[in-house]
Amino acid sequence: MNRLAFTLLCALPALAQDARQIVDEAQKRSRAGSQRYEGTLEVIDARRKVSTKRWVYERLGAAGESKAVLRFTAPAEVKGVALLIHNHPDRASDQWMWTPAVARERRIALQDRRTRFFGTDFTFEDLEERDVDRASYKLLGEENHLGALCWKIQSTPRVDARSQYSRTLLWIRKDNYVLLQVEGYGAGKNEDKLIRRIRYSDIEKIQNIWTARMLEVHDLERDSRTVMKLEKLQYNLPLSPENFTLQALRRER
Amino acid sequence: MMLLRLITWPYVRKHLLRTLLTTAGIVLGVAVFVGMHTANQSVLHAFNRTVYQIAGATQLQVTAGEAGFPEEILEKVQAHPGVAVAVPVIEAAVQTGIEGQGNLLILGVDMTGDRSLRDYDLENAGDTIIEDPLVFLAQPDSLIVSEQFSRRTGLALNRKLTMRTMQGPRQFTIRGVMKSAGMASAFGGNLAIMDVYAAQLVFGRGRKFDRIDLTVRAGASVDGVRRGLQRALGEGLQVDPPGSRGKQFEAMLQIYSMSGNVTSIFALFIGLFLIYNTFSIAVTQRRSEIGILRALGATRGQIKRLFLLESGITGLLGSLAGLALGVIIARGMAAYIGGLIGNVYGVAQRAEEVAADPRLLASALGLGLLTSLIAGWLPARNAAQVDPVRALQKGRVQVISAGENRARRLTAAVMLALAVVCVFYGHQQAVFYTGYLLSILAVLLMTPALGNWLTQALRPALKRIRPVEGALAADSLLQAPRRTSGAVAALALSIALVIGLGGIARSSFESITTWAETALNPDFFITGSESITQRSFCFSDTLGPEIAAVPGVEEVQAVRTVRIIHQGTPVMLVATDVERLARRVRLKVIEGRRQEMYAGAARGEGVVISDNFALIHRVHLGDVLRVPSPGGMLSLRVLGVVQDYSDTQGTILLDRRLFLRHWRDDTINAFRVYLRPGAARDAVRQDLLNRFGGQMRFYVLTNQELKDYIRKLTEQWFGLTYVQIAVAVLVAILGIVNALTVSISDRRRELGVLRAVGGLRNQIRHTIWIEALTIGVLGLTIGFALGAVHLYYILEVAKRDLSGTRLDYRYPFQIAATLLPVVLGAALISAIGPAESAVRGSLVEALEYE
Amino acid sequence: MIQLSHVVKEFDGKRKVRALDGVSLRIAKGEMVSLVGPSGSGKSTLLNLIGTLDKPTSGEISIDGATLSGLADDDLTRVRRDKIGFIFQFFNLLPSLSCMENVSMPLHLRGWSRRQTRERARELLDLVGLGQRLDHLPDELSGGERQRVAIARALSVYPPIILADEPTGNLDTATGADILDLVRDLHQRLNATILMVTHDRAIAESCHRTITLRDGRIVGDLSRNAAS
Repeated sequence: MNRLAFTLLCALPALAQDARQIVDEAQKRSRAGSQRYEGTLEVIDARRKVSTKRWVYERLGAAGESKAVLRFTAPAEVKGVALLIHNHPDRASDQWMWTPAVARERRIALQDRRTRFFGTDFTFEDLEERDVDRASYKLLGEENHLGALCWKIQSTPRVDARSQYSRTLLWIRKDNYVLLQVEGYGAGKNEDKLIRRIRYSDIEKIQNIWTARMLEVHDLERDSRTVMKLEKLQYNLPLSPENFTLQALRRER
Repeated sequence: MMLLRLITWPYVRKHLLRTLLTTAGIVLGVAVFVGMHTANQSVLHAFNRTVYQIAGATQLQVTAGEAGFPEEILEKVQAHPGVAVAVPVIEAAVQTGIEGQGNLLILGVDMTGDRSLRDYDLENAGDTIIEDPLVFLAQPDSLIVSEQFSRRTGLALNRKLTMRTMQGPRQFTIRGVMKSAGMASAFGGNLAIMDVYAAQLVFGRGRKFDRIDLTVRAGASVDGVRRGLQRALGEGLQVDPPGSRGKQFEAMLQIYSMSGNVTSIFALFIGLFLIYNTFSIAVTQRRSEIGILRALGATRGQIKRLFLLESGITGLLGSLAGLALGVIIARGMAAYIGGLIGNVYGVAQRAEEVAADPRLLASALGLGLLTSLIAGWLPARNAAQVDPVRALQKGRVQVISAGENRARRLTAAVMLALAVVCVFYGHQQAVFYTGYLLSILAVLLMTPALGNWLTQALRPALKRIRPVEGALAADSLLQAPRRTSGAVAALALSIALVIGLGGIARSSFESITTWAETALNPDFFITGSESITQRSFCFSDTLGPEIAAVPGVEEVQAVRTVRIIHQGTPVMLVATDVERLARRVRLKVIEGRRQEMYAGAARGEGVVISDNFALIHRVHLGDVLRVPSPGGMLSLRVLGVVQDYSDTQGTILLDRRLFLRHWRDDTINAFRVYLRPGAARDAVRQDLLNRFGGQMRFYVLTNQELKDYIRKLTEQWFGLTYVQIAVAVLVAILGIVNALTVSISDRRRELGVLRAVGGLRNQIRHTIWIEALTIGVLGLTIGFALGAVHLYYILEVAKRDLSGTRLDYRYPFQIAATLLPVVLGAALISAIGPAESAVRGSLVEALEYE
Repeated sequence: MIQLSHVVKEFDGKRKVRALDGVSLRIAKGEMVSLVGPSGSGKSTLLNLIGTLDKPTSGEISIDGATLSGLADDDLTRVRRDKIGFIFQFFNLLPSLSCMENVSMPLHLRGWSRRQTRERARELLDLVGLGQRLDHLPDELSGGERQRVAIARALSVYPPIILADEPTGNLDTATGADILDLVRDLHQRLNATILMVTHDRAIAESCHRTITLRDGRIVGDLSRNAAS
């Protein structure tokens, strides 16, 4: 969720007309030196069964070289479970998971990118920090989306990016470069099938950064939804790098 | 074919019982062959299937035998450029404690990455899903079970299951149910998934994995990655496709298939004699028929083919019946072998399906057919040589020429001489087995002469017991050496087989008991598993000093045993404080000097190996073993060879410090505990259980319990041997019944004459009984002698090509003594039917019978 | 000596065959009787019944005044072994026993001592003119010699009755005549009752009495005086 928040929730004003420039600008505007929030996650499966989780998220560093810790606070079964992520600009991130009950951290192996992230409707790919240049963009036009005028941009992953999607459609608000919606289409035989939709809402300006406070992922294949709310969101607060190490992960329970 | 229907069928119909008895040897021979191999294959198949089902998409596995390896290896493997996904695995079979469920195979995996390798079939629908992957990881009591297991035990989602762990009894929660297809059906569905780190705690494995399963990057060659990874990790770790585990397992099963082969070959041999016997007599009886056929223009070739065809069909039918019987008995055998392998080697598998390999069935069929054709060849040739003129003359009989007897005796003598020569040059395998075969053939060829000689020797005694009947019986046997010798040979073979099997069982029992007395002398054995051969659960080595601190305990020796792969076969590595072990245990030294070998091993200069290891791997004192360890290949000098029956595949004893250094494994399988003199055994045991029993899996076996267990295991090991003995005795009895039935019907006229000239019913009866008993005595005498030879060879085979165990020659007198009444009783009982039919039949018909 | 009244013998098969159909007959001690008739007339059956090898379906047979009906198998055997000697067409010698042993067989069965047996067997073989061939196997003898051995065996305990089923049927004419001479000689010397089945008219006519059977009935019973 860290990268998601980091990558997609922020926007900065710009006047670029080129599709790639629009996406780049959207990313630039979301940039901050550090971030902290308390998140609530609800997974609503096809049978309308709801499960809820809460966590605290802290990130230090800007896109590409950030370090983040995500620590679950509820429910009781998962309380204390923590994730440590070290993002690298040039290679896949390193991730560790701390499970207090066995007092062990485990390194999370490089995933199959389609794997769902711990029972949510996000896949690991959805959460990656994307380099703008790993896809090519095409401006399809302008569209009114939920009352706001948006650019509609098609993003096609490069062949070497090994994506689960054949293409994604992005809706970016023209006035403030905030991403409002992402639609992912399947690869291979599902090429024209919409498999996942992410919507961003409750957009507020926090510490001069336009931020979506709520996002909803809809897995159309499984008809399952995940709703995530960000509370007590703060940018650019002073965080110690020592908190983003394996030792810190073990220490804090 | 026309001939067959017109000539053979009426005869067969008339002698239906005899025909059935004739095939008995073939039936049983083929059945044992098929049963044994099918059972072995099924067990192997079940093992392989479980391996493959659990392997999922795994293309390569990294292992260090059974020893496991430190966690860091995982990062090395993951970092290898050819590797796509690499995940750690811990695999252990545990007793469920649920009645009728037996073992549960628990797979410890890391769910964060594992699902890209294995399809847990969890997410698709409804209730059969894992509730929450995060909860599964966060809670170490999480368990995913198969739908089958869930249904059988009523353990549904969120239900609790208590298992004894190395941290004491622990409750586990079912957090997911796998659909019963694919992986979940592995190990007969008795499969559970657990977090790999939770499994480390539950099984006391420290920071180690048993295995790493991996897939290679798209486009990379599996073999290329295997070689690259092997180079990167060093030879101490094995990088192999999942299928190679089956090959190691196969080595463990090999002993059983070998012993099954010996029994099958004997049974077929016996079948050969039974068929030969029956056909020889049939040819005599049908002499006039053959004469008529010849007179009507049948060529010699046609007659020969007719009889060959008959024996072929007999063999075919017998083999088919044997195949059916074999498949039936295979099921029971498979369950037995499976259980045994589980107990002896601690290897888990479940043979649920027993499927016979068509190739195996075909070769068994061929074997049975070939045997009967060989058996029918001589009688067929004799039939072809029947002189039509003489055959049609009544009252004339063709007698076997003396020349044939002489030739046979000469051949036997030459074979015997060669066999003796082979014993002296027996270090070469081919020569050895040739000698084995020659010596048995020689005895068989000498059977007629031996039988005649023995009967003549017995005649006075028989005559003294029953002047009329005794003499008549002896004469009847002497008159028809061919008829008698067939039966005697078959019986002798069966008895030799029993003596061989019984002898090896007895020798093993005695050797193992003697060894157990010296090697297993601690007062207590403390293990984490229910039995000493199971190694799923390990102790931490810090427990040793704690046990030593218990009042009454004098010394504690920590032992770590692991199976590793040495030159492709699994062997047992035993790591302990060698110096202290040597002070307590004095095993028989085969090579080297006791003081030096143990002192050297204690200093870590080398290892002490068991004699069966030395024999199987052909190594001797001073040789250097290349032993794989997670840290790399070790070169260890053999400092001594001792007699040790700990493991059928051989053991390597090394000092624990050496093991710790190279395996970085500080876990313990068992503690050998010696008490202070005068300590109250029961009180100390209770004290130990009170102190530790609640905290972990903690089993205290007394010396006696362990020895009983070893004895039970040995008995179980020889359980199928006893089945084989039973088969052999059965064949022996069938052989006697066959011989007598054939003999009586052959002699109907003769017995009729006897009655016509004044023989009373009882006289006839007693004659036949005595005859049967004499056949029994002959068979027993020759069989006991042949058994002595056979036992020598079978012990050699065991030493050379099976387990490598040096067993002392112990003639099984007890079994021989048991056989005496059994065989004689069986002979007497089987004589009753023929005797009654001989005295009850119409005299007039008997006299006219030809 | 031998008395039959209304003896019937039927054989059960696919078709019931009445081999003897109410035969009544008396043969006195010391008589030498020939039994003639075409094949299937019941000659051998009659001989087997008298010889206690078989039992009649109905009717009475008595030997030496003792009735056979109602006797158990072993009792019949005792009658046979004490009173009756059998001579078969095909000799029925045991091929693997020597002449001596074949002749000894009935004596063995009576439990005679070895010495007694040997003496008697030698005596008998002398009697039939084979005193020099004691240790030969039947296969090493000519047909006539074999029949002599068989006769010696039949005489083992000098039974009062000798039954012969075509004793010359399997021999050439000259040998047959020899055997017949032997039988006649024995008849005179031992004063045995002899009943002989034959096809040979000449042999039949050389007997005191000739009984003719046809279809299981006696159709002729002719006595001659001093046929010898």
